Amino acid sequence: MEKGDSTTINITSESSKERKGKAPLLAAPVMAATTNTREDGGNKRGIAIFDFVLRLCAMVAALAAAILMGTTDQTLPFFTQFFRFQASYDDLPTFTFFVIANAITSSYLVLSIPFSIVSIVRPHAVGPRLLLIIFDTVMVALTTAAAASAAAIVYLAHKGNSSANWLAICQQYNDFCQSTSGAVVASFIAVVIFVFLVVLSALALRKS
Amino acid sequence: MQSTGLALLSPVTTRINSDIILLYPSHSAQALSKTLESSFLDLFLLKKMKAGALELGSASKGSTPQAGVNRGVSILDFILRIVALVGTLASAIAMGTTSETLPFFTQFIRFRAQYHDLPSFTFFVVANSVVSTYLVLSLALSILHIVRSGAQGTRVVLIFFDAGMLALLTAGASAAAAIVYLAHKGNAKANWFAICQQYNSFCERISASLIGSFAAIVVLVLLVLLSAVALSRR
Repeated sequence: MEKGDSTTINITSESSKERKGKAPLLAAPVMAATTNTREDGGNKRGIAIFDFVLRLCAMVAALAAAILMGTTDQTLPFFTQFFRFQASYDDLPTFTFFVIANAITSSYLVLSIPFSIVSIVRPHAVGPRLLLIIFDTVMVALTTAAAASAAAIVYLAHKGNSSANWLAICQQYNDFCQSTSGAVVASFIAVVIFVFLVVLSALALRKS
Repeated sequence: MQSTGLALLSPVTTRINSDIILLYPSHSAQALSKTLESSFLDLFLLKKMKAGALELGSASKGSTPQAGVNRGVSILDFILRIVALVGTLASAIAMGTTSETLPFFTQFIRFRAQYHDLPSFTFFVVANSVVSTYLVLSLALSILHIVRSGAQGTRVVLIFFDAGMLALLTAGASAAAAIVYLAHKGNAKANWFAICQQYNSFCERISASLIGSFAAIVVLVLLVLLSAVALSRR
């Protein structure tokens, strides 16, 4: 191998007049592109901050739903010798599913807060946003399933069903019915917030 | 002449194969160095202009591999939409046409089970019909995305409606699932009797109609994912 296989061409000094003459022609289109991305970054940062706030609200709603349903317990003041009239959430498997699903949702929301903060700090990062939108969609499905099935049972408890001979238990267990209805409402609020979160992430993912 | 050349350019050194050739501005070398300098600056200008043009997005993207992937994603989106349409339509029809009359009856009551006896099932049929209508209408938007891979605003609209329809469909399917579970198992504490023990074919029909709906839910989640990926790859 020969010693110097490289080609070095040094043009060291260029007069300042020539430099000034060439630069402005190139600066204009490049400058326009960078201001566009800077505005974009500001928009995306605003969307990310809104996303963070909504995430906190959804976490509060899901946690409230789980706690409200999980701590309802009503014992009727009368009882027979063998039977005690008691109603709690684990008497109905649907309510158990409701409590578990809302607990999963609120813990997911707690774990997704760092990703939300990352997308505030770095508005142009695609990875965290994509991850958030994927998991938010799955959580929409899970939370809606829990809320809607509990709503069906609560509706049945309020109205009963004459064709199936199912009695309306709310006429006896008043407090239980009220707490479970409140928990279902809180869960539906969390669902609506999740749908907004998905749309916000989609808006922020655009490359304009 | 020589002094002006020196003012323009300092000595250009070229080193080829361990031979050192120093070009000082002389008569012919000056012309050579000037052409070298101008050609380098031309290359530099061209590179900058190309970069600027790419940043402004004026280059056509039809032939890049990324556009091909986007098109593939849009085609997959279209196919999945048709699958979800079939699922929801089948569920709505299966639930809506169930009717079972028990062979025995008293003088005053005829034992019949239909979907509208239970309000959750009515909601299920209505939700599935609404979602299948939406899917038919969104097929047009999906075809638009195949043809024009670069559309972003319509993709966001599609994601919004897909998420909303996902919530509606999941609500209907899970409400019906809760009632179907109750019909199968009953509830001793609430004194709710399991009606499936008497209405056999009704129970089988309503249980099977849930399958198409839940499959459509999974497909809708995939659709939202696909649209998000297509948006981010732009």
